[in-house]
Amino acid sequence: MMDAQLLASGVIFGLSIGSIFFLMAIGLSLCFGLMRIISLDQLLYYSIGAYITYSVSLATGSIWLGMLGGVFVAGIASMAVERFVFPRIYEREITFSMITSFGILIGGIGIIKYFWGVVPRPVPVPTLAQIDILGTEVPIYRLIVIVVAALVYIGIWLFLNRTIIGKAIRAGIEDVEHVEGLGINVSRLFTITFIIAGSLSGLAGGLHAPLIMVDPQMGLEVLAFVFMVVIIGGLGSIKGTLVSAFIVGQVVSLGSLVYAPLAQMAPFAIMLLILLVKPTGLYGSALLKR
Amino acid sequence: MLKALRWWWGILLAFSLVGVSVLFLPLPFLNEVLIFSIYTIGCSFLLGRVGFISFGQPAYLAVGAYGTAFYLFYFGTNPYVGILLGVLSGLVVSGIVGPLFVRLRSDYFALVNLALAVIVYYLMQKVLADITKGDNGLWFLTNIASTPVLDISRPGQFFIFALLVALAVWAFYKYLDDSIYGACCLATKINEDKLRFLGYSNYSVRLLAFVIANTTTALAGAMYAVYLGFVSPEVTSPARAADPVVVTILGGTGTLYGPLVGALAYTGMKDVISKLIGNWELFIGFLLVFIMLAGEKGIWGTLQPALERLFWRKGSATGTTERREVRA
Repeated sequence: MMDAQLLASGVIFGLSIGSIFFLMAIGLSLCFGLMRIISLDQLLYYSIGAYITYSVSLATGSIWLGMLGGVFVAGIASMAVERFVFPRIYEREITFSMITSFGILIGGIGIIKYFWGVVPRPVPVPTLAQIDILGTEVPIYRLIVIVVAALVYIGIWLFLNRTIIGKAIRAGIEDVEHVEGLGINVSRLFTITFIIAGSLSGLAGGLHAPLIMVDPQMGLEVLAFVFMVVIIGGLGSIKGTLVSAFIVGQVVSLGSLVYAPLAQMAPFAIMLLILLVKPTGLYGSALLKR
Repeated sequence: MLKALRWWWGILLAFSLVGVSVLFLPLPFLNEVLIFSIYTIGCSFLLGRVGFISFGQPAYLAVGAYGTAFYLFYFGTNPYVGILLGVLSGLVVSGIVGPLFVRLRSDYFALVNLALAVIVYYLMQKVLADITKGDNGLWFLTNIASTPVLDISRPGQFFIFALLVALAVWAFYKYLDDSIYGACCLATKINEDKLRFLGYSNYSVRLLAFVIANTTTALAGAMYAVYLGFVSPEVTSPARAADPVVVTILGGTGTLYGPLVGALAYTGMKDVISKLIGNWELFIGFLLVFIMLAGEKGIWGTLQPALERLFWRKGSATGTTERREVRA
């Protein structure tokens, strides 16, 4: 019933979906690890990235330029939000950040509706070329998405392990008071982390836009999956995010080959199973309680 | 007798005010406010008393609504039985997912609930589309039979019914707040180690709170179903997930009358704003951010101390000291 060709294209599809989820979840995970906030507004930067990609590609004809613009604008938006809203939130409980950032997300969707209207818009795929893998025709664009996500993972790894700012971020995830005691400007560290997270969400939106239609509610549509990725992997862990993005992507893709409606439900069942066995997710540590 | 009156007077006053306002406010508006306030009080209890924030309340609302809708669409005609079945299905569902969810830390709890709301949405929209009719929804307004004493298929009588139900719900939550169990809930929010030290189980306190709150939410869902006469997956749409949380915070988290005041303000603003500018999300999002940054006390949380001061000045000297003792 499921031949090798179908399976191969299913796996590729799952990898590309998982890559998008990974790019978004990494921002949430970093924000939680360092600042102890749950930043639901990452989904807004995802929508912004997608919409800027749509508008710029419509104006210039180049989708790659659009994605660059999307990343840039998403970064600017996240910086503005971080500077104006979040300084008063870091001190408070984690639920506080969740409510406030949800407010930003809903408000941002209102702004998007104001500028672009409620009608879904199609974004053209940059390259329609296909490549032959194991006898299956696979769109090159999906492979590009996977490669970009892999490059981002390598880049983030190098950044966190080889640069002094990255090392400060990693130290901050362990104990932020000590980092402050060492004379590092923690509030600037927070801003940098937030901009990285926002830009990656914008990149995810830009990459995802040609695969789906952009519409104002798109952030809310991927929200559940992104949270499943973050929860399964464990909040605050980059490696866990990678592994669980891979799992969720494959489950969504291969699940839809078996029985289409199952694709939406199966990740939830897996998440419940994992939480039953390990309430902090695969790689989340219980020590992260503050 | 006097003691009982003192216990009841706040609730009676609040709901007689709502009852009197039918003279100058439109009936559908008040019905919506009453149902919305019942919807919100569960969320307010979870957030203010137990310290759990839930973005998944629409899931339980939908469970109650569809429990009622299935009965009224496929099997019977009696709206009271429908509402009872809706509440029962809410009880069963929260009893099933509760033991899994309440073990989680409060941040995971919020996210898992949100995921549940989305799952219920897909479940009703796509997976069970054969029996839920997908996005078209179930229409059963004509199926609802008129009932002898209080005919809740008419909006006017439904209002009396909703008023009575809300009164009962509020009395129940006031009783909970006063009881030892209410104190346990507050303790598990503030310091769970100490509560364990006193010999209570955090897990069972939270589980009971979870089941109570979500059964109340399912009750609201069941009442929506009977009132509107139709149910569609739109009730559990992720875009509406923040509504009860917004209303809770707008009214004043954890206060008894906060949900009622919040629901009144929210529904009123929604009517006015969607008429004026039409872009509803923009406004509600920034309102939420503003309230959070302004000190998260909400309308009732700000109003209550002012009202109390007003009544102290008017009350006799003995009454004042007595009330101070109670507060201390």
